[in-house]
Amino acid sequence: MEKQIVLNTFLKETGGHIAAQLEACTRCGMCAEACHFYQATGNPEFSPVWKIELLKRAYEQRFTLAGKIRLAVGLAKPISEEEISHFSKIVYEACTMCNKCSMVCPMGIQLGPLIHEVRQGLSNAGVVPAELLAAVNQQVEEGSPLGVTDAVYKSRLEWVADEWEVALPQDVKGADTLVVFSSIELMKFPENIAAIAKILHAAGEKWTLSSQAREVVNFGFYEGNPERTIMFLKRIFDGAGDLGVRKIVVTECGHAYDALRWTSYNLMAVPQGIEITHIVGLVGDYVRTGRITLKKGAHNDGRITFHDACKIQRRGGHIKEPREILNVLAPDSFAEMSPSREQAICCGGGGGVIAIKDADSNRYAAFELKVDQLRRVGAKTVVMSCSNCRLQFTDCVQHFNLDIKVAGLCQMVADALEK
Amino acid sequence: MFWTDILAFARGPFFRVALWVFVGGMAYRLVRIIFLGWPADKVPRRGSKLWGALKSFLKGILVWPFIPWVKNTFNCNPVVYLAGGLFHLGLFVILILGTAHMLVWKSLLGFGWKTLPFPIVDWMAAITIAAIVILFINRLIHPVLKLISGPGEWLNLLFVFLPMVSGYVMAHHLWFRYEVIFSIHMIAVNILMIWIPFSRISHFMFYFFSKAIHGADFGKRAVEP
Amino acid sequence: MAGKSIYEEMKENGFTRRGFIKFCSAVAGAIGLNLGSPTAAKSESGKVVRGLHPANLVSRALSSKPRLPVIWLEFQDCCGCSEALTRSQSPTLVDLVLSQITVEYHETLSAAAGFQAEDAKTAAMKKYAGQYVLVVEGSIPPKDGGVYCTIGGKSSLSLLKEAAAGAAAIIATGNCAAFGGIPKAKPNPTGAVGVMDVIRDKPVVNIPGCPAIPEAFTGTVAHFLVFGSLPELDHLHRPKLFYGNTIHDRCLRRPFYEAGKYAASFDDEGARAGWCLNKLGCKGPITYNACASLKWGGGLSFPIQSGHPCLGCSEPNFWDGGGFYQGQSAPLDRPALLTMGAALAAGAVIGAGVAGANTVQKKSARRKQESKNKGG
Repeated sequence: MEKQIVLNTFLKETGGHIAAQLEACTRCGMCAEACHFYQATGNPEFSPVWKIELLKRAYEQRFTLAGKIRLAVGLAKPISEEEISHFSKIVYEACTMCNKCSMVCPMGIQLGPLIHEVRQGLSNAGVVPAELLAAVNQQVEEGSPLGVTDAVYKSRLEWVADEWEVALPQDVKGADTLVVFSSIELMKFPENIAAIAKILHAAGEKWTLSSQAREVVNFGFYEGNPERTIMFLKRIFDGAGDLGVRKIVVTECGHAYDALRWTSYNLMAVPQGIEITHIVGLVGDYVRTGRITLKKGAHNDGRITFHDACKIQRRGGHIKEPREILNVLAPDSFAEMSPSREQAICCGGGGGVIAIKDADSNRYAAFELKVDQLRRVGAKTVVMSCSNCRLQFTDCVQHFNLDIKVAGLCQMVADALEK
Repeated sequence: MFWTDILAFARGPFFRVALWVFVGGMAYRLVRIIFLGWPADKVPRRGSKLWGALKSFLKGILVWPFIPWVKNTFNCNPVVYLAGGLFHLGLFVILILGTAHMLVWKSLLGFGWKTLPFPIVDWMAAITIAAIVILFINRLIHPVLKLISGPGEWLNLLFVFLPMVSGYVMAHHLWFRYEVIFSIHMIAVNILMIWIPFSRISHFMFYFFSKAIHGADFGKRAVEP
Repeated sequence: MAGKSIYEEMKENGFTRRGFIKFCSAVAGAIGLNLGSPTAAKSESGKVVRGLHPANLVSRALSSKPRLPVIWLEFQDCCGCSEALTRSQSPTLVDLVLSQITVEYHETLSAAAGFQAEDAKTAAMKKYAGQYVLVVEGSIPPKDGGVYCTIGGKSSLSLLKEAAAGAAAIIATGNCAAFGGIPKAKPNPTGAVGVMDVIRDKPVVNIPGCPAIPEAFTGTVAHFLVFGSLPELDHLHRPKLFYGNTIHDRCLRRPFYEAGKYAASFDDEGARAGWCLNKLGCKGPITYNACASLKWGGGLSFPIQSGHPCLGCSEPNFWDGGGFYQGQSAPLDRPALLTMGAALAAGAVIGAGVAGANTVQKKSARRKQESKNKGG
């Protein structure tokens, strides 16, 4: 009965804004030219327009007179069970929801959010790649998709505080700012945690971590499942509410930022008076206002470039801050990739793709576009503000045997702090 | 049956019916969308939605068609990009600034305006026809377009192509008696007008929705749309 | 039929042999005869005469044939075609008419009136049965038993049928006789039709126009006389000789059309400079007539030359063919705002209905989803 659930989800979700965009599509296929998965593999099924095929069909066949007639006389193809599993592979394994396609769409259709609706339908029906689903379930049960239980969280933070000799305030009532890390940082890039802590201390921020709101990653959002997305968001908001903070800072995780900053308000009741921002935005503010000062030219050795993350730059809006920071840190050696900023090419690992083993070939293929970009700019170091991107970069640099250093922006800032 | 009768039919009752179907059909499409329910956006903004939408339109109208290299896709498929742009440009120039078409508007609206000299409109028409042929060939060979094209897409091309070609042949007095090709042109136009509400050619109306949604979505994030 | 040939009649009227030959040349020119190449194996047009000078051909015909009897009927007309013919500025052609044909009956021109005239007609019809040419001017209204146009108590339809029965050929002159003309214009209260619509068993030549070009009429008559047959006709029964090209094809303002230079009003710079009148509603491109080449008033001018757009008066239904001053490309009539509004409203109502049904569908989908979530 999966198809009925998928269909019901689509019908439920299709409001005027979705219908208008589906109607606006001219089937020009321009979006394919923007999709890194299509560009890398040449598989026409990876074109963004094809990824919303099910949503489009549901709309046409249920909401339009002509479509209803065509369905009744057998001219239109109804959604079938086989197709649902077929499209599941396409929308989960060959889409990072980076929304680059909407930049090139002549009609400006927001394909990313529409593909998210498709994911929602599929996840309601439970037609989700097993590994992704396993990670989601792990987050439901243990609080983290990477197996960070309460105990692991505690010991890991202790180790970080020890290793980098930095204070990590926890559960401080009355703090201004709640910082929520992702388990990717905790497990894979612990130096990032230390770096962010150093920056916050240097800026004199009254901040805290929370043992309740300890995972910013939202695998329910990857999956597209609203219930679980809300469940994970609620953990963070509850933690923030308990501590009475005024600001939630999302660290270097893109999808989490999208979920928390740009989606949660339309999904659930978000506690009033809490500002949600990204660490890059915060650090950018510090640099601008002089709350921290950075050593000029601290990283002026070798070509350095910045990778724009889809959810933090293009869909988060923090495009200027990294540039301002890098122009201080590496005024001579910083160079932009082409294209960059809101037009940037996605890393290929976001949107849960990196969690799915079957998607590895797609992921590596898509990264070849990135390799090409890096080569053209002659980068020795590539900086980014998203640990999911960084995971993909670290993995792919190894896979492609590249002599390129992958760095986190906050880490570079922390290293360049003037005492 | 004389061609003059067919012409009178095509310019008279048939045109009127086509216009009714067009107006009624577009109203149906529009109302159907508007009354489907629009969820409110409660997300706090970083930038202006309105300014984003405005920029999105300005870019779409001014920058994109004329400075193609600002878009990365131009590098991927420049021929199709230019063909698409020139097709729309030519279409608007011919439909609004062509003398014969202006007179149609004048008879419907009650006022006219200055038009472009015939040779310019003529060249635009030739370019537009060439563009639609290129777009047709592209649809024929591009793997993505092959996948996503149904009968509707092919009919769109046909129904747009016919008025264009018949209009061009008419303007140049080629092959047919004038009233014959005039009748063919008018019949083709009427068929197109009836077809538009049932097809994706109606994107010209939803363009304003999707482009505004796009601009607002980027504007609220303070990102260039 | 009297034995006297046309040449003999002309001699009696004081024509010299030289004058007669000149006259024949003029007639040959008028009906477009030209000298074909003697070596040409096959001519495309029947009017190309091989090996014989056109004037010779005409003079032979006129020397051997008697004058052509003509019966001229007028129905729903304004007499404009007769007027145009008699006031033709081309004396040669008036001469041609007066010397080549004998008008046995013409309501306007006959000296006789009333029963005398009718008697003369009946006599002529009997005398020249199967030989006379019937010219019809004006449309025929068969509606309501033909009461809208009667002569001597007889309806125009019965008069036409009666006269057509013995005619060798019928020439319908003017748009009214050819296609119904102005009487046929909407709403056509008299049910007016052209000759073609009621007479189907006789050859009918249409010389449409409002009025018909006199030279087109006399040329057709001369052709009948010289060759004993009607000239080649187009699908609307018009002689191709005079109706083979559109006004637009031969228009002296055509270069301005090609260059896209149009007068926008009757008194702007373009109008004064003699630019194309397309924007002012010229119907030249769809009007087949000889105005632009033969012109009017003895080759003096024609409407477009004088600054007025062509009305399309040689085409069927020209009176209903959109406004005279509305561009030819414009639709015939402006759709009423009310019907447009009705179409708009109908569309909107259907749209709202479908949207309502869709909202119900959405709600039920949401309910199903929620119950599933509760159950699972």
